[in-house]
Amino acid sequence: MIFIAILIGCIIGAIVGMNAPIISYTMSGYLAISIVAALDSVFGGITSVLKGNFDLKIFVSGFFGNAILSILLTYLGQRLDVDIYLAAIVVFVGRMFTNLAIIRRYYLDKWSKKIEEKKANRQANKQEK
Amino acid sequence: MKKGEGTMIITIGLVCFVLCTVMFMQFKVVEETDITQLETMRESELREQLATWKERYEEVNAEYEENIDKINEYIDKRESNQEASELLEKELESAKLTAGLTNVIGDGIVVTLVDNVKEVENNEEEEIEDDYQVNKGKVEASDLLTLVNELRLAGAEAISINDQRIINMTDIFELNDYIILVNNGINGRVTSPYVVKAIGDQTYLESALTTKKVGYVDQHSELNITVEKQKNILIEKYKGTIELEYSTIKED
Repeated sequence: MIFIAILIGCIIGAIVGMNAPIISYTMSGYLAISIVAALDSVFGGITSVLKGNFDLKIFVSGFFGNAILSILLTYLGQRLDVDIYLAAIVVFVGRMFTNLAIIRRYYLDKWSKKIEEKKANRQANKQEK
Repeated sequence: MKKGEGTMIITIGLVCFVLCTVMFMQFKVVEETDITQLETMRESELREQLATWKERYEEVNAEYEENIDKINEYIDKRESNQEASELLEKELESAKLTAGLTNVIGDGIVVTLVDNVKEVENNEEEEIEDDYQVNKGKVEASDLLTLVNELRLAGAEAISINDQRIINMTDIFELNDYIILVNNGINGRVTSPYVVKAIGDQTYLESALTTKKVGYVDQHSELNITVEKQKNILIEKYKGTIELEYSTIKED
């Protein structure tokens, strides 16, 4: 059920995004950083789901809060003539990698456990025979 | 389905929707940015640029005005210089005029002296006998010198003998009793008829020469002298060069 919701949301979002009016170039910089922040929250959410401590409120607030905060930081950086968005990108992408690593390990563990279980089952079967 | 699960599904769907929308918008913008960079610039940005350009324009304009002021200053200076140079030129002109280094034109008189030898030639024998008689009617350098002096005394401003300008350095002398030289021999040989031009007060000059008995004409009655008033007499400039080797200006 939840996968259907994700799929539908993505498809509708893609269609709307394709047909949306072109925003100005300077605004697109803010948008890009917000996308990176949102993706980071998404991966964080997936990790938390796997860990079993997923909280919708934290996810939603992190999703929008991170995006808005990153936009504000970028704006501030532009005002100060310091490329703060670089720091934001480093942090978000770094976190994305760690989350991805966690997800990968989780599934690898799951997979290897299954194989071991199968092996154990076979051995058990052989012994029974 | 639980109650909380429904809201969760809807929220996640919404989040996905927002994420995808923003992402695709960004894709589109990035795709099209290079072509329409200027068009997609925000209005405020353009305004900012306009402001900076305006500022620059004002700076340049100020510089321009400054330069114009400078140019005007230079023009003023140049004009004053020109005035000074004009003054100098005028002074030079007048100096040249008094020194006799310019052609001058003006009213004055023309005195023509002709050797009066023909009368003597009529009776040759007498002529041979008396050397004085031969030269009696001949114009001598001293005659010209006296004439020049008389004219000067009468206030002549410029004098020439056969277009030889008489200046302050002029000498008039006679070589071998026959050749009269003016201006130290720079093509300076003058012969009869001697046309002496003088610019000055016409009546004064004329009366100074033609006074009865004591005037120049009566005193030199043996010569053929005609005195004539003329308007716009042209007296040519001194043709030689004046070189002062020994005199230098003494500062006061």
